[in-house]
Order: sequence, then C-alpha cells, then structure tokens
Amino acid sequence: MSRYYEFFCPVKVIAGEAALEHLPYELTSIASVRPMIVTDAGVRAAGLLEPVIAACTESDVTFAAIYDEVPPDSSTTTVREIANLYRQQQCDAIIAIGGGSSIDTAKAVNILVSEGGDDIAAYSGAGVLTRPLRPFFVVPTTAGTGSEVTSVAVIADTERSVKLPFTSSFLLPNAAIIDPRMTLTLPPHITAATAMDALTHATEAYTCLARNPLSDAYATAAIKKIGRSLLAVMDNPDDVQGRLDLAEASTMAGIAFSNSMVGLVHSLGHATGAICHLPHGLCMSLYLPYVLEYNLEDIREPLSELLLYLEGPEVWAATPASRRAETTISAVRHLRDELHHRCELPRTLRETGKVKQSQLDNIARQALDDGSIIYNPREASLKDVRSLLEKAWG
Amino acid sequence: MLDSFSRSAARRARRQYVGLMFRFMGHALEAISRFDKTVIDEARGMPDGLVFQMTVLPSGPALAIEHTGDGVLRYLGSRYDGPVDLSIRFKHLAHAFLVLSFQEKTVEAFANDRMVVDGDIALAVRMTRILNRLEAIILPRLIARRAIKEYPAELGLLEKLPGAIGVYRRVAFSMIRDLRKEALSQ
Repeated sequence: MSRYYEFFCPVKVIAGEAALEHLPYELTSIASVRPMIVTDAGVRAAGLLEPVIAACTESDVTFAAIYDEVPPDSSTTTVREIANLYRQQQCDAIIAIGGGSSIDTAKAVNILVSEGGDDIAAYSGAGVLTRPLRPFFVVPTTAGTGSEVTSVAVIADTERSVKLPFTSSFLLPNAAIIDPRMTLTLPPHITAATAMDALTHATEAYTCLARNPLSDAYATAAIKKIGRSLLAVMDNPDDVQGRLDLAEASTMAGIAFSNSMVGLVHSLGHATGAICHLPHGLCMSLYLPYVLEYNLEDIREPLSELLLYLEGPEVWAATPASRRAETTISAVRHLRDELHHRCELPRTLRETGKVKQSQLDNIARQALDDGSIIYNPREASLKDVRSLLEKAWG
Repeated sequence: MLDSFSRSAARRARRQYVGLMFRFMGHALEAISRFDKTVIDEARGMPDGLVFQMTVLPSGPALAIEHTGDGVLRYLGSRYDGPVDLSIRFKHLAHAFLVLSFQEKTVEAFANDRMVVDGDIALAVRMTRILNRLEAIILPRLIARRAIKEYPAELGLLEKLPGAIGVYRRVAFSMIRDLRKEALSQ
C-alpha cells in the first residue's frame, strides 16, 4: 500500500432513473444556450439521441449543432472538423454521447475550441493545458471505459500514423450523466466485454502499486456491482437496475483506476489492441486471469479481499483464508466461462480467431514499453511476458 | 537559532547529495553502456541523438544523457541547457532525495506521483529499465532490493562483480577528470 497518494475527481455524477432529464438544468445553470452534441452513427441508429433531445426540448433547451459521424478510431481530422462546426454554429458547450471514441473526440474538440487553432497535436502530452476548458458533459452509452471520469484522451494522427495522448485534469467533464436507458440496448457481447473492462479497471486499481484507500473504496464497490449484476443482465438485458449497476460500476472503476493506475493486463491489452485490432474490453477479459496468476504472490492479500466483493460473503466465509486469492482467480475464470456460454466472448487468444501466434513476440515487445507496466506489482521481463502470452493463447 | 541553522545545513547537504548522485549516475550510465549487453540492447531501442534529462523542479540539480547511437550513452553534464526529448522531473528535492537515498524505489516514486514525465512514455519506461539494470549491477544486493522492483534472479556474482568494478573504475576516472577541469576553470 502506498505511503503517499493523491486522489482527484471533480466530476459531478448524475446517475439513475430519469437522470437525462437533469441535463437541461445543468446546461441552463451554466448559461449555455447553444450546446453541441458529439456522437456516432451507431448511437443515432440505436435511437439513443431521442431521449436526450426529448429531455432537453421539453425544458426549452435546443441544440445548436449535432455531429453524429465520429468513427470508432477517431482522428485529428475528425477533431478539426467538429471544432470548425462548433465555431461556425457559435456553440457554447459540448455534450458527448457514446463510448470511448466519442468521449475522447469531444475532449479533444474541447481543447481546440477553448485554446484556439487547428492543430490538436500541439496540445498532446501531459500538463500542456493550463486553464479550464469550455463546459463539457458526457452521457456514456457503454458501461466499461470509464472515460467520463478520466483525464485522458487518445486521438489518432492518421497523417503521421501515431496515436496522440492528451493528459490533463482540464479534460474532465463538468458532469457525467449515467442513465440506464442509454445502455439498455447494448448487444450481449458488448455488454460482456465492456463489463470485463470495468472489472479489470477495478481489479488492477486494487492490486497495483499506486492503490490508495480512496481508490480502493471505488474499486471494491465497482466489483461488487459487477459480481452481482453482470450475469443477471446477460440473462435479462431489460433489467434496468442491473444495467444501472453496470453503468455505475464502470464509472466507479474509472474513478478508481484514474487515481491508482493499472498494470500488466492493460500493457498487454494496449499492445494486442494496436497490433491485432481487438476491442479493448475483450483484451482485458482475455488477459485478466493470467496476469492475476502471474502477480499472485505479490498481490495475495488484496486479491483475497476481492473475493468478498466478487462472490459475496457466503463464498468468502466458506473459503479458507489461504485459498481466497486462488478462488478469486477461479471466480474470474468462471465468469469468463459463463460469458462465453452466453455470448461466445472469447477466453483465449486462439478463440478470437484474429490473433496469429507469429504476432506474440511483437505483442510482448510492445507490452514491455507500455506505460502501465510501471505500476504492475511484479517486474515483467520479455521472457515473462512471452510466457504469459503462451498461456493466454490457449 | 541553532535549530534553524541545522535545518538549513541539512537542506544544503541534501541538495549536494542529490547533485552528487546525479553526477555519479550520469557517469555510471555512460560507463555501463560501454559493456553491459542488457543496457546496450535497451538503449538501442531509443532514437539516435535522444537527450534524456532527470531533474528536480524548479531549477535542478539535473543530469542529462544522450543516446549517441548503437546503444552508447554519453553524459552531458549537470548544467546541460540544450533541447531535451525526454525528461523525468522530481516535483521536489525531498522526493529526489527519497529515491536517491534508496528510501523509495523508482517505481514507487512514479506510483506516488513524485515525478512528472515529459515525452514519449514508452521511452521513459525503457529508460527506467536501464536505470534499474544499472542499480542492480552497481549496488549490493541488499540495497538494490530497496531501489528496484525486483532483483533480477539471473544476475549472478560472476556477472555483477566485473560489471560493478567496470562502472566504478570508469566513474572514478571521469569524476577525477571533472574535478580537474573545474579546478582549472577557477
């Protein structure tokens, strides 16, 4: 446990039934009269814009612009295009509706419209921004990334073929609106993968080097909700309370990991995502149990504690203290088996059908240079990572 | 009065210690990159001409290192003021002292938000591995364990001892050379 820590989360969380109907009040309270929506075609096609627009129209709040073509891997070109639209329409606030890509794009747009200019790359890096940006709200439509409470955005610079990271607490939105209606229609495999993403955020937040008492509280609360509601939602996708539990868990896990960082699961996941183009949540699900096994002797105590939150007090009490860490890993494996049974979420790299064994060396090398590896409790050499990938291959 | 004087002397001593350790590390990095295959392989992964600086906010002490190519590192001194590609900056002298006096591991310092990285994170991770390797080679096992996350299991005495002697010998020569230069310039 860290002897010193910092914890920061100034985002107002507006969550629960009819949460969307609070958005117009939030906008008028900051005197916004020309807000802009940033979203993607999938969100519009799923009919998820309607409840937002209806909630605002009913309170006489109209939108000055709606951009609904954010691609899955957003680029500097998209950011520039949206910033131009914002300026042309003289907007005064941004509302991101969607998953990680729409939220990250909106964060980058907010930099340009607040700081000026067209070159978003000029603001890449940590600590470049020095003052607050324009009003910004996030309505997540997936329950996993936690982007609504993280101070990071990643945008692809397609001209130079690099990913530009942006880190600043000024990227955080004024408020995150968590409404179960927005995740009710998520398809089963996305529900499963994004929930495993949130579970990994919380688990790594609780077991890695920068954990602290406040991030621990958020991480355990998130794990408890996922343990209780994930399979229930898979069996009954219309379970509103279960959907809200998963959305809240995602936000809480986001708060936890943005204050305590993540470890080797993310190093491997980032590398696999970049090389094999697998969705981030799926990568997290693939690697989580193998990394927990690898770290086991360094994280035995916190991992034992997590059994209580993941499986409940009966299982925790019935398991001998010396076996609780292993039982937590078994519970994660069991959860993956159940998800595979319900929506064929792959459990091994082989099962994805998108990873070649010849790519493993490359993944291992790239994972070793990932920033999150610093926070992993156990040191990992190229040989260690390669052997871990062999196990995850299946 | 006496209390205030001793506190101020302790602060001065701490600053001098950090400055001395930075200078030692700079020369030691240059030395180890001449013969240690692990360090050379890691350094080869960095762009030629890359300048890395480790410093203490707001105004030093500091050390600057250049990767001149093919895995070779060159110490640029403590007063380098040219362009820097990658920097790790301690937020306060007290934080640098914790790490350089082996009270806090480098990774713990990262985890405790003691440092700010500016530049490519992947290169910062690589540079951290080089620093870890240096510490594993030159420090006694007991102290190295306090400085790095995990002491390398495969690092035996037959590799460590000649490595440490090689680094200390080269660092001693370099520091004597520095002292001569400083004496001549005064």
